[in-house]
Amino acid sequence: MENELVLKQISKKGENGEIYLDRLDLSLPKGSKLSVLGPSGSGKTTLLRMIAGLETPDIGDILFRGKSIVHIPPHKRKFGMMFQEYALFPHLNVFHNIAFGLKMKGASNAEQTDAVQKMLALTGLEGFENRRVDELSGGERQRVALARTLAPGPLLLMLDEPLSALDRVLRKRLLTQLTDILSQLQITTIFVTHDHEEAFAAGSHIILMDKGRIVQQGSPKDLIDNPANDWVKEFMA
Amino acid sequence: MDPGVDGKHPIVTQRHYTHPYVLAGVIPLLFFLVFYFYPLFGIFTKSFLQGFPQDLKVDLSFLNQFFGSRRMLNIIWFTFWQAGVSTLITLACALPCAFVMSHYRFKGKKALTVLSAIPFVLPAVVVAAALEASFGKTGWLAFLNIRHPLAMIFLAHLFYNFSVMLRILTSYWTALQGEIREAAAMLGAGPLKGFIHITLPLLMPAIWAAILLVFIFCFSSFGIILILGGPSYSTIEAEIYRQAAHLFNLPLAAFLSLIQILFTLALMALYTAFSKQAVRYTPKADQTVLKRPSKKREKAVVAATAGFIILLCVLPLLALAAKSLVHNGNISLIFYQAIFENTSDSIFHIPPFQAVRFSFIFAASALGIAMVTGICAALFISYSDREMPKYITAFFDPIFMLPLSTSAVTLGFGIIITLDKPPLNLRTSALLVPMVHALVGFPFVLRAILPALRSIPSDIREAASTLGASPVRVFTAIDLPLMARALVAGAVFAFTISLGEFGATIFTASPHTPTIPLAIYRFLGQPGAMNYGQAMAISTILMVITAIGFVLIETISTRDPKGF
Repeated sequence: MENELVLKQISKKGENGEIYLDRLDLSLPKGSKLSVLGPSGSGKTTLLRMIAGLETPDIGDILFRGKSIVHIPPHKRKFGMMFQEYALFPHLNVFHNIAFGLKMKGASNAEQTDAVQKMLALTGLEGFENRRVDELSGGERQRVALARTLAPGPLLLMLDEPLSALDRVLRKRLLTQLTDILSQLQITTIFVTHDHEEAFAAGSHIILMDKGRIVQQGSPKDLIDNPANDWVKEFMA
Repeated sequence: MDPGVDGKHPIVTQRHYTHPYVLAGVIPLLFFLVFYFYPLFGIFTKSFLQGFPQDLKVDLSFLNQFFGSRRMLNIIWFTFWQAGVSTLITLACALPCAFVMSHYRFKGKKALTVLSAIPFVLPAVVVAAALEASFGKTGWLAFLNIRHPLAMIFLAHLFYNFSVMLRILTSYWTALQGEIREAAAMLGAGPLKGFIHITLPLLMPAIWAAILLVFIFCFSSFGIILILGGPSYSTIEAEIYRQAAHLFNLPLAAFLSLIQILFTLALMALYTAFSKQAVRYTPKADQTVLKRPSKKREKAVVAATAGFIILLCVLPLLALAAKSLVHNGNISLIFYQAIFENTSDSIFHIPPFQAVRFSFIFAASALGIAMVTGICAALFISYSDREMPKYITAFFDPIFMLPLSTSAVTLGFGIIITLDKPPLNLRTSALLVPMVHALVGFPFVLRAILPALRSIPSDIREAASTLGASPVRVFTAIDLPLMARALVAGAVFAFTISLGEFGATIFTASPHTPTIPLAIYRFLGQPGAMNYGQAMAISTILMVITAIGFVLIETISTRDPKGF
């Protein structure tokens, strides 16, 4: 299958020389569901921000559908990203949060309403249109964030620890809901998490990262059955 | 009473016990009743109910004087107008600087922030003196020929309030740099659209809050108007003083005070509403990932901003210090010597160093009063937070902040017209000035202590009491040491505020016990190089003390609070 996203030898260093990403290669087939797993500080969020265009690599290239996108600013990439703390716009209600991406595209009011209704139905938030976002529960905010990310129809979907802001019980329940919704979409998805249960549920392909490099990649079964080294074995335990 | 199980020892069903922290609340409450509410009530009766309470008559002739006088209406208009223009000038200067400060991080940014805040903590008389030193007839920038009283007022207000505006705007704008802007970018909003649809609407409440705060400060500006404005430019504040102290028209002065109180309270309420919204709009996760200026253009912009801030905030202070050290073109300490000499031709008829002495005595006493009342109030509020119904805190907390939104002139005026006769005659008491200064400094002391007290987890106190500590021991062994640093900050606030207080002091200090700001005011109002030089010298002394105090507070409060 054709690779939709290709990362070539991506490197990124911090101001004081600390290594965030170290000559990283990655290829994603169209429609694939990738989970990026690793401890905090392993470079997984930097990787995601690099693909989103929120950070630029020191060296290396990123190709999307065969074209380099390194110099394209984030707002022109048409990718969707769901943030760890959701970053909902506090001055807009649920409707206008979800419609924001469509509005930026110049969609008509009718198109916006139509798309928002579809998203509300998809995420089970019917009737929440006029609610203020600071009146919502943690789980509701998470679903608004997902709906907002999906509404403009992104070419690539990225989720940065989408469940980490929730408590344990809620996290379990919403993980099932989230993976159900994701499996209905044909879109290429990258799911970043430090929790291997989440990684296995959300992705059919896993990359395990540490210190800015990919330590091992494969299916969930590969990682459990054939850990590349002791560190992987310990991390998966 | 229930006879109890053994029939001998009664079961106590209702325990009458009041926690000492509740009793502590009585002290600041009494203080407020006598020194805040009673004088305010006095202002009201003085204007509407003359002769109250013996032979009460309602005399509204002052209303005719007020509404029939073009001058009075002009004063009201001018008060609003000068505050509005001053605020707009401040906004125009602070907004671009706040943009740079909230988008970039660079070496020396912290020092620049502290430096830029110094003018705001300086007493108004020092600011007026610094402006004189810069733009006055013999000032450094005299060649610019900015000597029109209005221009001087606007410049002084800009110099004074620039840092407040800069601080408020920078802190909120910085918080908007994180994920929220990135989220907008990911949804297709470029820099301009992101600014219009996200940053600007989220920043607007903070901009309004900053505008209102600076407007309130300029609206109740007294020392600057009095010194720099001259006789032709009077605001409500200055007019209260003129009517009361020069024309003895107390009913009219009282009515002006009422107008002043009404407007400041309304503006304060608006300010509170906007700051609440600003806080609500500020993202919680402010991962402040600011970039370093890398391109040539960015570096130039940052350097220009830093240069502008230093020029605006530091140059007048340097001019002031320099003026105090130069006599007839030579470096000399003659003005400082003159302050401490016992010259018979002094305009006070007492040596000016006495003013320094009185200021320090008053400030030390004010510190004592403000600390005792402030600590008691903080203990009471933090206790009511934890143990009492919500409305108790919601009621008392704003009351304790009232002196902040009441002009010092109004306070001073209210106090001299009420506390000058039995049952409480303090007109000639040496305690009057420290009491007033303590009242002005009280909200700052409370705001310094309360957060520290609130941050002490209640299980620490509970642990101490289960280990046998009485409430008083809990205070001395737990609360007191844990809020030590906040206490120092509160004490410095109380001391420096008292040293620089002008508006209330001009009413309450007797001619025999002048303070430093009064001395500066009188020196500036007299002709002659010697008087001018002494004004500069004594202003420099006050500036240095206040600046040291402020830097001390900054260092104390920015250290890690977990460092205990």
